[in-house]
Amino acid sequence: MYILQAIDIHKNFGSLGVLHGVTLQVQKGEVIAIIGPSGSGKSTLLRCLNHLERIDSGRIEIEGETIAQNNSEGQAVYSSEAKITQARRKMGMVFQNFNLFPHKSVMENLIMAPTRVKNMDKAEAEESARLLLAKVGLSQKADNYPFELSGGQQQRVAIARALAMNPDIMCFDEPTSALDPELTGEVLMVMKDLALEDMTMVVVTHEIGFAREVADRVIFMDEGVIMEEGQAEEVLLNPRQERTSAFLSKVLMAR
Amino acid sequence: MDYIIMLLPSMLKGLTVTLKLFSITLVMALPLGVIMGMARISSFSPLRWFMEFYVWLFRGTPLLLQLLFMYFGLMTLGLRPEREMAAYLAFVLNYSAYLAEIFRAGIQSIDRGQYEAADVLGLSRYQTMKNIILPQVFKRVLPPIGNEVINLVKDTALVYVLAISELSRVARTHVMRDDTFIPFLIAAIFYLMMTGMVQRFFKWLELRYDYFH
Repeated sequence: MYILQAIDIHKNFGSLGVLHGVTLQVQKGEVIAIIGPSGSGKSTLLRCLNHLERIDSGRIEIEGETIAQNNSEGQAVYSSEAKITQARRKMGMVFQNFNLFPHKSVMENLIMAPTRVKNMDKAEAEESARLLLAKVGLSQKADNYPFELSGGQQQRVAIARALAMNPDIMCFDEPTSALDPELTGEVLMVMKDLALEDMTMVVVTHEIGFAREVADRVIFMDEGVIMEEGQAEEVLLNPRQERTSAFLSKVLMAR
Repeated sequence: MDYIIMLLPSMLKGLTVTLKLFSITLVMALPLGVIMGMARISSFSPLRWFMEFYVWLFRGTPLLLQLLFMYFGLMTLGLRPEREMAAYLAFVLNYSAYLAEIFRAGIQSIDRGQYEAADVLGLSRYQTMKNIILPQVFKRVLPPIGNEVINLVKDTALVYVLAISELSRVARTHVMRDDTFIPFLIAAIFYLMMTGMVQRFFKWLELRYDYFH
């Protein structure tokens, strides 16, 4: 039983094909790292799972609910808006550029969705927000505004904000790529803690070290297809594909 | 000095007419501008085209002409519009068009990521606009809106073409009758006081919105 399935996903931007039949199946509690060169389609795949992009063909299932499936002509047809909304609520998303709401304090960022989408009581939402801030090590920053925080702190707030909706699956789109190198550690640490709590995670990343240490499975994508996938150690230390090893040596060389 | 005191009642009456036109235009055109600005980038293309046409029409012709059209045009249609009504209508429609363009640009200047973040958190489109996008837009559009409001103070003088006795028309009547330019001076001081207050008010607003970047 998979908590998340994306089967034979095709996605084009106009005449540009981005995903050419990608299949990703995720088990509950699994941590998956998706690596690959820029333009390989890894972020687009993640965004398709989240319904930030619509697929052209394929099938997406979240916790057994079908979100999209092919019609007889092989074109993806989406389920009702209500069903999609319901399923998406089970997924949290963390962006490369944090996308915190700049006009809201850290606390307001965290309680915005719980109070407005889930109609949670404000005091209750604030209480759980405080727990989440403690978890990401930012208890002192509840009343600060995003611009007063470092990039690493902002990203940790963004993670807490996603967690505030109590998702079953967390998606990360290059969460450390916009950060100064010395700030990536604190974000990766929070993500590692999440993984240890058995959160299901799909992480698009360039952090090979993180992938190796935390991911159960590593997927290497290139040119819109999955070139190689397997256990982290296997793919990262003994890649079978030449392209995987070429990519890895480039990434590791840059360190 | 006695002359000035003698002038004041009628000048103040003119000022009231000016202020009334100013406030009615602002109160009506600001919300209309927000709505039209959103309509201008609606995904429903006929609405978008209509708004584009509307903005073209009202930005593309002189306000003076619009005032005359509104009054004499409605009259030819057999309606008997009050002059003030025609003036309010022309001003509201004209200023909405300008404000719509400012709000449109403001809305489009907000990063896509803000919509996406709101979207993945499950906020509806209405909630996203109201709670996430528009508060950020207001901060960004304050300087150009301030410009428009100051223009509005001065544009009110145009309704003299409909023989409405606003501040500058009253001043001119006195100038011609009494053969002195003092009424003009007083009118200028009144305008400067009004624009000065607008300027201060916007400065205060900008400071109030300074709590985020």
